[in-house]
Amino acid sequence: MKRLRHVVRATVASFRVAIMMAVQYRASFVAEAVVSVFWLAWTIVPLFVLFRFQRGVAGWSQDEALVVVGFFITLSGVLDAFVDPNLSAVVQHVRQGTLDYVLLKPIDAQLLVSVHRTAPSKLPHVLAGVIVAVIAAARLPRAPGAADLGAAFLLLGAGTAILYSLWTMVVSLSFKFVRVDNLSYLLRTFVDAGRWPTAFYPVVVRFVLTFIVPVGLMTTYPALALRGALSTSGLALALGVALAFFGAARIAWTLAVRRYASASS
Amino acid sequence: MKALMRALRAMPAMLRVGFAEMVAYRAELVIWILTALTPIIMLLVWDGVAANGPVGGYDRAAFARYFTAGLFVRQLTSSWVVWELNESIRTGTLSPALLKPIHPLAFRAAENVVVLPFRLVVMMPIAVALWLWRPEMGMFIEARALPLCLLSIALAWAMNFLAQTVFGALAFFAEQSLGLFNVWFSLWALLSGYLFPLELLPSWARTIVWYLPFRSMLAVPTEIAAGQLGGAEALLEVGVQAIWVVLFFFAARAMWRAGVRRYEAFGA
Repeated sequence: MKRLRHVVRATVASFRVAIMMAVQYRASFVAEAVVSVFWLAWTIVPLFVLFRFQRGVAGWSQDEALVVVGFFITLSGVLDAFVDPNLSAVVQHVRQGTLDYVLLKPIDAQLLVSVHRTAPSKLPHVLAGVIVAVIAAARLPRAPGAADLGAAFLLLGAGTAILYSLWTMVVSLSFKFVRVDNLSYLLRTFVDAGRWPTAFYPVVVRFVLTFIVPVGLMTTYPALALRGALSTSGLALALGVALAFFGAARIAWTLAVRRYASASS
Repeated sequence: MKALMRALRAMPAMLRVGFAEMVAYRAELVIWILTALTPIIMLLVWDGVAANGPVGGYDRAAFARYFTAGLFVRQLTSSWVVWELNESIRTGTLSPALLKPIHPLAFRAAENVVVLPFRLVVMMPIAVALWLWRPEMGMFIEARALPLCLLSIALAWAMNFLAQTVFGALAFFAEQSLGLFNVWFSLWALLSGYLFPLELLPSWARTIVWYLPFRSMLAVPTEIAAGQLGGAEALLEVGVQAIWVVLFFFAARAMWRAGVRRYEAFGA
């Protein structure tokens, strides 16, 4: 119990320091907010072009697909604000050998490296995504019930866990191959596929997006839940995959740290 | 004029250096090349939409042709000079490059050109896979259209390189130059035909797009390669591209000159 309190306090403190460091750069914050408006257009406009020609695509109406886009923007924002800054810092630590200082601290190293940097300038992304999702959800023919909302939130949490796990696995590779920071760009290309409902893709791609790079789970499943179109087994599947990825990430991190021999020695 | 001759004489050596760097960082380059696979995602989506019949004049074969061509044009017109410039200006490593008797951008151009064949090689298996998936797309580029297509790609490459130079040189003045480039890039992605053929836009939007440069940076060579644009119309579009190249050239030159005058090498 005492240990848990210690962990929570250390986490909160890390977040506070991270935010204090980030708000020093106010101009950057404004610039990022502008960028996120353009980025929003980049994500939404293709959807409107697509639905100019058909009222429904693969069983999805425009509003339903817009919910998926909203969730996609939200999760990309979470990735940029919380996941990516931390894990690119790890790559740098490994390259410079400063990871030693992290490993020496009396707290779980994976937890510490996962919360010590935050990019609040990317938070407008998250907000924009939530706004899009809420507007789209309000226009659905059937108002989502409390259970649907609960399931959607649960699935978004699972989606964040999957994103975090994917990035942690890539970073674990950086212990061995140092130059993998651009691998995260490659991963981002795959994540990009999550902006469309998985039903839009051929079966093979759908399988990949559900089990191998499960970005479909992160955005399509919560939207299905809001529509009330997700079965209990679907929910269980999504949570199971998230759990499996989280476990695999933990194993990858542990193995990587065990093999870590510091840059200076 | 003399400077240009000097740059040309040094060109073989610069190409060799660029090639050596490419070989040294080959894995990294492959990863960078693979990050530009968005046209495949869009192809899969549009292919599903066109399953029940053509969409805005595009059937499945036409979509496959368009996006496969787009994949190649994107690769053959890309460069990374904006990041290189930004980095070298911020860290001051531009200083030694400025002392050399050859313009620093000439070397950047050589370095970006020399990797183009390699990009083609990486794209080949992907194109074959797409062709096996939708063989009805056929052999899309006609031998007759090839010279014009290559010219159009070369002009699009120049536009891209010069635009990146403008945003890269912005780093002389502003810390946020990469953020501005991201705005430019998202406009480009949306309005260049990268995510959807511009034909599919409503006519008012097409009118706006026609007056913007983005179309000339991707859609024009792509449509020529896909056999959707030809004859006098294609010649006109390539002419428009040439005008944009000239405009971009003067913008890049003005930006560069003003920037170098202001440059005081950080830390020097």
